[in-house]
Amino acid sequence: MTAPALDNPLHDGLRIEPTPGPTTLVIFGASGDLTRRKLLPAIYHLARRGRLPAQFAVIGIARSATTDDEFRGQFRDSLKEFVGAPAAADQVAASLAERMYFVTGETNDADLYARLASRLQAIDGAEGVLFYLAIPPTVYASVIENLGAHGLAQPPERGWRRIIVEKPFGTDLASARELNHIAHQHFSEDQVFRIDHYLGKETVQNLLVFRFGNGMFEPVWNRRYIDHVQITAAETVGIEHRASYYEGAGALRDMVQNHLMQVLALVAMEPPIAFTADSVRDRKMDALLAVQPLVTDETQQTATIVRAQYRQGWVNGSEVPGYREEPGVGQGSTTETFVAARVHLDNWRWAGVPFYLRTGKRLPKRTTEIAIQFRRPPLEIFRRASQTPVAPDLLIVNVQPDEGISLRFEAKLPGTRMQIAPVMMNFRYGTTFGGDVPEAYETLLLDATLGDTTLFARHDFVEASWALITPVLEAWRDRHRAAIATYEAGEWGPTEADRLIESDGRAWRTL
Amino acid sequence: MTISTPETSDGGATEQVVPFTKIAAAMARGVCQDAAAMRALVATVIAVGPDDRLTDAADTLRALGDAGTVRGILISPGENPSPPAQVAGNTVWLRGIKAPYLNNAVAALRLSSLPSLVWWRGGSEDLLDGLADLADRIVLDEAEPERGWRRAVSLFDSSAFSDLRWARLTQWRALMAQFFDIPEVRAASREFTRLHLRSSDRMAARLFAAWLTSAVSFGDTFNVDIEDEGQRDEPGSPLREVTLGNGEQSLAIKVARGLTCVETSVSVRGHRAASRVVSLVNHDRTALMTEELRIRARDLALERAVRGLVGGG
Repeated sequence: MTAPALDNPLHDGLRIEPTPGPTTLVIFGASGDLTRRKLLPAIYHLARRGRLPAQFAVIGIARSATTDDEFRGQFRDSLKEFVGAPAAADQVAASLAERMYFVTGETNDADLYARLASRLQAIDGAEGVLFYLAIPPTVYASVIENLGAHGLAQPPERGWRRIIVEKPFGTDLASARELNHIAHQHFSEDQVFRIDHYLGKETVQNLLVFRFGNGMFEPVWNRRYIDHVQITAAETVGIEHRASYYEGAGALRDMVQNHLMQVLALVAMEPPIAFTADSVRDRKMDALLAVQPLVTDETQQTATIVRAQYRQGWVNGSEVPGYREEPGVGQGSTTETFVAARVHLDNWRWAGVPFYLRTGKRLPKRTTEIAIQFRRPPLEIFRRASQTPVAPDLLIVNVQPDEGISLRFEAKLPGTRMQIAPVMMNFRYGTTFGGDVPEAYETLLLDATLGDTTLFARHDFVEASWALITPVLEAWRDRHRAAIATYEAGEWGPTEADRLIESDGRAWRTL
Repeated sequence: MTISTPETSDGGATEQVVPFTKIAAAMARGVCQDAAAMRALVATVIAVGPDDRLTDAADTLRALGDAGTVRGILISPGENPSPPAQVAGNTVWLRGIKAPYLNNAVAALRLSSLPSLVWWRGGSEDLLDGLADLADRIVLDEAEPERGWRRAVSLFDSSAFSDLRWARLTQWRALMAQFFDIPEVRAASREFTRLHLRSSDRMAARLFAAWLTSAVSFGDTFNVDIEDEGQRDEPGSPLREVTLGNGEQSLAIKVARGLTCVETSVSVRGHRAASRVVSLVNHDRTALMTEELRIRARDLALERAVRGLVGGG
């Protein structure tokens, strides 16, 4: 990393964020959707903002025979589609394109790595190399081993080697452990960046500032004042022609094991002693270790996690097929597209406070939020005067699409009578501070080039998360012939999810 | 409340003319009518200057106010102790207020518990002393800045100052500073003999040169030359090209063809020659003021540069 030099007198008074040293980004899966939609636009935005070094290059790798020029054309096409036509034609894009190269090959072919090594040698300034695995998880291990075998994981005397691994990191506890083991044979932990794009979102990072940068929230952030927490990640889309991936994943692996567990840990963690990678990740790990095992008993009332699959229905004004009617999905599929869970943390701060998680596809609205519901006042002195019950105070952290924070509290309606109504105060990132809010992938790519692991999942967190999820997966697998609950596309999940929370005398938030 | 000749401002908010004592009520009503203004507020911006210099400032404040984050107060000093106020959304304009009443007006109208920023667009420098006591930060923005800079030097120890001309140089300073992160560049700096600037704003070029020479020790034969393009292209980039070096080594930053990007190149002994292109940042007033709202601390580099230019302290 080329941090601003401490003895550079010109930095005085300038808020210059660090720029990485010479870097080559090697993207495995360069022809894929993630590269096109997210990575190439993120690189362009970072370059525009001057956050990339002069010696920055990209090497794309994929099976399809592609020349350097064709790859540069794909880059421009990606900008046209996801940034805008002017971007594709501007000088920043032209300058970046000049340093984009392509290496064709199969990821299990040793020759690919030999050619990659010689390409890297030929690139001026390939001192720092960031490998990005934007490929199916089934080939992660093979790529990591090949990188190691060809000496590509070994940092040179002056430079660094790092690897970003997309989710899902493993498919269960055993495979995650195995993948960590393979990764650690060739890369040290500080070279491995397990990406979870939720952690790159401003609001998710702001949770730390909100909790630990203010004096007024942390004192009430506990069982004494909080009744419960609801974390929702709702999508309106279905599986978007990704049946082959989704059939092997399901909502539990796709969303809960990574995104929701990360968010849960950020909400529940104790204060770190400093804003450093290990300090933050240690406290997140503590929170995760306090989570009690999930119970899958679907026939009785003791379940703390339920699953379901969407049926045909209506979403955003269009009729959509049921999950089993999606191309590539079998009629007997029991893959869950919806999960709801009640999570308990067995620690001093959260004992007795349930965290309700829900995520699903083909729900009525695309939204991700954390809702913290406070306890009601101990005495309802306005009950008679107001007639309507006093609503509990609510703090809502909107993760997407409108990143921000809202606070709902009770207020007296103007007039001579004592009438009470809830009011909402809103803070929105998109408007409050002006300027652009960076995309999560921009933040995370830059952090990886700078070697900052704070917003990436550590090996022990990934394994602890899988340790919670794997028994559920196994239980569901063992009863895969049993009918899975269903919900109509366009509705907020199955009745089983309602029962899960209603049995506690609570209800899902209306979104 | 007396409301006369309602009209619609450019920003769409209904404009009302009200007596001073009714400003708060009129603003509250305007804010309630404007859903956008129901967002989190971050600061008060008080623009002070002659009437003709406040028209474009009003547009900027309305843009910031339309985002619902800033209360804008425009003040053109005059002889009226209690002039009628034009209120539009979250922005109020007091035309011709008598100088002794100005500080009181600001104190009455600024948002409580949030930072206040004075945007100084010219006028009698005597007013700066009082405003410096009220504001958390003063942003200078004058066509002819030297008198304001001289007064500011005497206030540096008590108030935080910035300058929009200086803000327009931020990207240029950052790019130059990044060159000096390279150890070989720092090592070579004593050998540099010339700073060449091509500029559309001579004062900005002088400020840049003053900043650089106040921070880096160059050799005895070092000289600065400014090629004046003669035409101030506000709100564009104040500089067109900066070259620092000697005959064989150079650091160069220049606006690329098309005026949307900046090209940088470095060529010094012992370091691989490199170049890159970055987007030229937006220099319009709204973008600059948005940036200024993020800064709270004193800017010692500006203070040194201004002292280098006008002397004092």
